[in-house]
Formats: sequence, C-alpha cells, structure tokens
Amino acid sequence: MYLVPDGDELEIANAAAEFLADAMTIDRLHGPSPADMGDDLRQQLGDMGWYALALPEEVGGSGLSAIEFALFFREVGRQCGPVDVLAQCLAAMTVTDAPLRSEITSGAVGIALAVTDSAAVRLFGSGDAKYAIWANCDAAELISLGDASTESRPSLDPSNSMRVTGASTSSIASRSGDFVWRMGQLATAAQLVGLAEAALDQIVEYAKVRETFGKKIGSWQAVRHPCADMAVRLEAARSQLWFAATAMKESRRDAGVHLDAAKHLANLAAAANTDTNIQLHGGIGVTDEHHAHLYMKHALVLIKMFGARRDLLGRLLHASVDD
Amino acid sequence: MDLQYSEADRDFRAKARKWLATNVPTKARPANGHTSAQFDRDWQRKLYDHGWAGVAWPKEFGGLGLSGLQQVIWYEELARARAPHYINTTYVALMHAGPTLIARGTEQQKAFHLPKILSGESLWCQGFSEPNAGSDLASLKTRGVVDGDCIVVTGAKMWTTDAQHGDYQELLIRTDPESQRHKGLTWLICDMKLPGMDIKPIRTMMGDEHINTVFYDEVRVPISNVVGEINGGWSTAMATLSFERGLGFIGDQLELYERVGRAVDMASKVRLEDGTLAIDDAGIWQKLASLKADAMAIRAMTLADIAETDRTGQPGPKGSMMKLLVTGTHKALSEVVGDMMGWDFLEFNGDRSAHPWTYDYLWSWVFSISGGTNEIQRENIADRVLGLPRAR
Repeated sequence: MYLVPDGDELEIANAAAEFLADAMTIDRLHGPSPADMGDDLRQQLGDMGWYALALPEEVGGSGLSAIEFALFFREVGRQCGPVDVLAQCLAAMTVTDAPLRSEITSGAVGIALAVTDSAAVRLFGSGDAKYAIWANCDAAELISLGDASTESRPSLDPSNSMRVTGASTSSIASRSGDFVWRMGQLATAAQLVGLAEAALDQIVEYAKVRETFGKKIGSWQAVRHPCADMAVRLEAARSQLWFAATAMKESRRDAGVHLDAAKHLANLAAAANTDTNIQLHGGIGVTDEHHAHLYMKHALVLIKMFGARRDLLGRLLHASVDD
Repeated sequence: MDLQYSEADRDFRAKARKWLATNVPTKARPANGHTSAQFDRDWQRKLYDHGWAGVAWPKEFGGLGLSGLQQVIWYEELARARAPHYINTTYVALMHAGPTLIARGTEQQKAFHLPKILSGESLWCQGFSEPNAGSDLASLKTRGVVDGDCIVVTGAKMWTTDAQHGDYQELLIRTDPESQRHKGLTWLICDMKLPGMDIKPIRTMMGDEHINTVFYDEVRVPISNVVGEINGGWSTAMATLSFERGLGFIGDQLELYERVGRAVDMASKVRLEDGTLAIDDAGIWQKLASLKADAMAIRAMTLADIAETDRTGQPGPKGSMMKLLVTGTHKALSEVVGDMMGWDFLEFNGDRSAHPWTYDYLWSWVFSISGGTNEIQRENIADRVLGLPRAR
C-alpha cells in the first residue's frame, strides 16, 4: 500500500512537466484567437510518444499504466493544455487498425473531442482535426469529420476552438465497454487537479510579494485562510485522484466508483481554487494579461467533460467501495 | 503507487472482524456519570484481555505495535462493527498520556502507569488549556513552585474533559516565573485525588457535563512525577504529537464512510413533510453523494499519509488539512441528516445513543474547536504547508 507517486512515476511526471512548460507555455493563450494545437505542436507531442504513453507495448505504445497517464495529464492541466491531447490518446485506445493508430499516435492526423449536446455534437479542439473521439460509459467511437459540416462557435476558453455539427457523422471505429470513458475521466480529473494546483501556486507566490497596508498580503488572515482552504480542497482531490489511478492500474472492481469520486472532487477543487485565485489577486486578477482567468475558463470546460455534477453524484449515491 | 494489502494485513483484518462481530457490547453506552466511565473501562478491559489493547503502542510496552496501515484496518473494522466510540473516557490515556510516557517517561513511571492504562484501570484527563490560554497555549499561567521534593501548583485549567472520571492528569504548568511562551514549562503527572483540587463541571450545549474547570490551590505534586525535564515541558508535549503521527482522529476519518452509508440508508426510508422520500429530493441526495466522495477522499488521504509515515518514520504536515476536512464533512453530514429527519431532529434529551444524529450535530462545534480550532489549523497550513509570511 503506497499512495504517493514515487520512483519511475515521478520521473515521467518531471519529464512531462519539463517538456510541456517549454512546448505548451501558457503565454500562448494571450493571443487574439484560440491557441489551438496546430500541426507542429501536435506532431511534437507525437514524436515524444506522449499519445502512446498508456498504450500496450504490443501495439506500439510505451506500456505505462493509468498512474503515469494521470501524472502526465496533471502537467497538461497546469499548462491549460488543449483537450486535443486527450482526444489523441483516447482515439489511439479506440481504433484497432494499426496504420490509423500510428497516424494518431504520431500526430499525423488531428483528433477533436466530441460531446453530445442535445441533438447536436459539440467539438472541442483544433479546426483541422480529421476525426473526433466520443465516449460514454458503454462505448467509445471514432467519427469522421471529413464530410460533416461544422459551424464554428466563439469559445470562452482560449485553449480550444469550439464547433458544432449535426449528430449524423460516420463512424470509423468503436470500442465497447467503459475503458476509454474511464481513462478520459482519469485524465480530465488529473488536468483539473493540475489547474487547482496551478491556481494555488500562483496566489501563494503573489501573496509572498504583494503588499497592502504595509504588510505582505500573505500575512493577513483574510488571505491566508482562503489559501489554506484551497490547499485542503486540492489535497482531498489529489489524494482521491491517486487512489483512482492506482485502482485503474490494478483493475480493481471498484475503480469506476473511485474515478467518479475523483472527478467530482477535482471539479470542486478546480472551480473553487481558480475562483479564489482571481479574487485574492484583486484588480489585476480580472485583467486579460493575467493567467488567472485562463485557469478558470479552462476549468469550466473540463468540469463539464467526462462527468458533470449530477451524472457523477447519481452514480456515487448507491455505489460502494471495497476494503 | 499500489493498493495492495499484504497477507499479514488481510489476516489481521479477518481476525479483527471476526472477534468484533461477537464481542462488541450490545448494550448502549450510558449517557452520563460514572456508569458511562465504567462502560468505557469494561470495554477497554475486554480489549485488553483479548489482546486488542494499545494498537499503536510498541510491543515492549504491552501494545500491539501495529503498522500505520494495520491501525487503519483496525479502526475501519471498529466502525463497521459499530463498536463503542474510541473518543471516550479512555481516549486521553491511550492516545495521549501513554504515548507521552513511552516517549519521555522514566522507567518507574512507565512500569507503574502503562499497564494500568492498557487495561482500563486508570483513566486520564488533560490539563493544558486555561481560561486565558486556549489557541495560544504557550501563554499559560498556572504556576508550579519547587518546594522540597514537591512542585506546588496553583492556578486553573479549563476544558478538561472527563476530569471527574480521571485518575490522573497530564498537567502542563509554568515552573519558571520569569519565562516567556514555550520556555519554562513543565509536564507533570497529577494524581486527581490530591488535596487542593476543585473540579467544577461545565455544562455544554449537548446538556452533558463532561468538560470541567479544574482549580489548583497549592496542590503538592511529587517531583518524581515530572515527565521530561523541569522547564522542558514544551518538548515533552511536542513528543506526544510526533508519536501520534497525526492519527489522533483516525477513527473519525475512517468511520465517515460508514456514517454516510447509514445516512443514505435512512434517506431511502424517511419521508419528508410533504410525503416525498428523502432520497428523491435533489437537495438531499446530491449532498449525500457528495459527502460520500469526501469520505472516500479522507480515506485516500489517510492511507497516503500512513503509508508515507510507515515508510519514512516521519509524519507529514497534513494533520491540519485532515482536521479541517474531517470536521467540515462531519458537520455537513449532520446538517443533511437534520434536513431529512425533519421535526424528529429536534427531539433531544442529551443521550448520544438515543439521539445520535442530533448529538453529533451539536458535537460538530466541539470537534471544530477542540484540539486546535479550525482557524488555528488554517494558520498552521498557511505557515507550514504554504510557507506564507507569518501573521504573528
């Protein structure tokens, strides 16, 4: 029993952090239009093998577990990484055709993330995506966007473009069961934990230097105590995330319950921490040039994906966990 | 990371579960008075006789010397079996005084007191806080003057739980009148039958009288009862905390999941005033499901901390975060149950066994104030976890 990332797990996390801080710097989000992946960044991640991180070795993956997968996506979250990254990973888990899979894992083709929105499908990710991945608890499906007419929508979150298309799109590949959905949940929860961490780190650093009434704001209890509450929410969400990732790795019978709890707590932590981060910054927190709003806007997108409140709580209410 | 229990861990769980299934008292604990203390002593004696006393204590001092993980298993099984609550009149002796003596006591002190604590023969209470020293414990003023082979104690201690049942008290006093703050304090074993002590119960909002003010009028405590050094009492008090390894509320942490389950069961049966089944009310079922997630996270955090401590031998700085989470979840659970119980929630005669949810609702304030208020916990987090500039 050990529930703190260590050893090789940390090496993967550190490698991801280092790579992403350089390749996907958050400054990219301050431009006039959504900072989509685009071919270059997509292929850069493919070259590094990140999309194949948790694919089995026999299909060309790195054969790493749900734990490394979660650690990688926590770093993606810290950079407000585009949801395309997850879409590529999940698409590679869904297809069985080897050439198509290697096109996906290399980043040669772009994948968008599709979510059902009433009678339509909403697409998140680069406008040049050729396919989209869609998943729920029962199955995952890769759909072609080739002939579909899509309509661009203005995106609150500059990390991703948003489009809408009709529901009738052609299926390229599918995988039954909840595996892809669960990995999507895990990665989304991990990104939200990353955002909750980034928000806490940001306000703590600011509170150490910014002064009001002749003192650092971090010495005022009106600032210290909300920061402490941020740390507590984060710790709860992160601990449950590690538990859920390990439960996935070990194929525990109750892994789904732990993932639902992890996603719910990550939703709460990211929403509250990105909110408090803006508030405690004061005026500078609402400006466009600051990162604080980027964390909040990206969290809003991820909170709705792979289980929003009612969906998660509905499953949790009567669920039970093992020893 | 892994979630694997060793074979020894699984065997321990099976053994504990089997024993508890047939040995947990079927009679409810009396609410008040000496019969409640006797109930606690009897249960402790039973644990002792069957080899379950002192789960956290090293084997050489008569305990079970369990790993942190096996302690988790033990408290999970206690919760599952609905065993008597571990925070009772034996709590200070087992979780606090005993560990302090093990860490800093003399051979004589250990030989005399430890077996009596394990068997439930002696109960202890804590004399740290004072009328003017609570959150700011280091400002305490109760005086001790060395006179021959005794220390003569004068002053007052407050919030002393179960002083009227205690055989001994862990007493923290100021022995150097010139000293400031953490210096010049001494940790004493005080026999509660010594002349010059006056115990005045404080009636709480639960209606019980477990908490007391204790007055000391030139009480003569033998110097041989000093634990650690004279004027080195702060160090003795801190030694206890490191021994506890942040496990002081472990039972509450682990029973929350069980209690949320019981609340969900109740919601499936109880009807609201308008006839709606409580579980069909969105405000209620969503809160309950969210609390289940909180309880799961608290368990995950407990396991993470314990495994880390088992590996490194050092407790992490997370105890304050845990206290905030546990007290907050406890209170929120009481509130949602109060919501679904309707008018029945307002029936209360002070008996925890008869009205457990109402009692626990009232107790939620005791929980978030005692043992370091939630405000002090936030200060600890700001200082020790986040490294923010000091407020004081």
